[in-house]
Amino acid sequence: MAAPSMKERQACWGARDEYWKCSDENTEDASQCKKLRSSFESSCPQQWIIDQLRWFYLNIRLKRAEY
Amino acid sequence: MLLLAQAPKAWHRLFQLKPPALPRTPGEAQHVRYRLLSRQGPAETGRQDQPQGPGLRTRLLITALIGAGLGGVWLAMRAEKEQRQQQRRTEALRQAAVGRGDFSLLDHRGQARCKADFRGQWVLMYFGFTHCPDICPEELEKLVQVVRQLEAEPGLPPVQPIFITVDPERDDVAAMARYVQDFHPRLLGLTGSAEQVAQVSRSYRVYYSAGPKDEDQDYIVDHSIAIYLLSPDGLFTDYYGRARSAEQVADSVRRHMAAFHSVLH
Repeated sequence: MAAPSMKERQACWGARDEYWKCSDENTEDASQCKKLRSSFESSCPQQWIIDQLRWFYLNIRLKRAEY
Repeated sequence: MLLLAQAPKAWHRLFQLKPPALPRTPGEAQHVRYRLLSRQGPAETGRQDQPQGPGLRTRLLITALIGAGLGGVWLAMRAEKEQRQQQRRTEALRQAAVGRGDFSLLDHRGQARCKADFRGQWVLMYFGFTHCPDICPEELEKLVQVVRQLEAEPGLPPVQPIFITVDPERDDVAAMARYVQDFHPRLLGLTGSAEQVAQVSRSYRVYYSAGPKDEDQDYIVDHSIAIYLLSPDGLFTDYYGRARSAEQVADSVRRHMAAFHSVLH
């Protein structure tokens, strides 16, 4: 399976960001974001989604970390 | 009777045990006073007809000159020692520049490349893999931004951006070619066999570890994240983590360029 191209990567990130923004806004009611979630899942390789939590927290931590 | 006569002498002998400053006879008093005076300084020249020894000022001057002489010798010896240390360091760097960190990889056009190919150029190097979710593209984007910023400045040598894969299983020459085209025309992708990648990662102390494969045979490679700066001598000069912005990295590279002295001639 070939790696995603730049365009595919950007589509995935866009879908991811939309989904995260939605779930941040609707922390109580996750069902609101179902559509965005399925869009996210279809735009990104599964491995990136499985890795999502780790990926997400890694991003937050790394952006805060001092090197 | 004799004892009584001797007693005062005995007492005097006892006094002799004390510092000889105590006069025993008037004549001696004169002598001792002279000695005291010469020890204390030229405060009272008084009834001296004998010539004084070197005065305090002269003695201080002589001591200062001797001190300065010794200090000068010490400084010269220290400078020589530092110079020898510097020469040893330069020699060690020269050997490291030639011997260490060498690699033998294929670029994204299929050409064989080794470290010597980049001698004479500043190199910004990043280790990653093409299936990377977002960190590698972000870091590479930052890296090429630095290269572009420095390219725009006249008088600065061009920096060679290099991307080395830590996933040789999937990232063959074709995959690398597809990947690097999205970033910068001069970005060079390097790949190779598992052994060659292991060797270059060891040289640059890069950690990497492929994760478990999912049902699509896809996997993430965990790896240390840093952009490495190599000098035109091929020596590791600096590294930049995720937290450094493109501007900060560009500033640092500029400073290294200004301070650079080649050890290879």
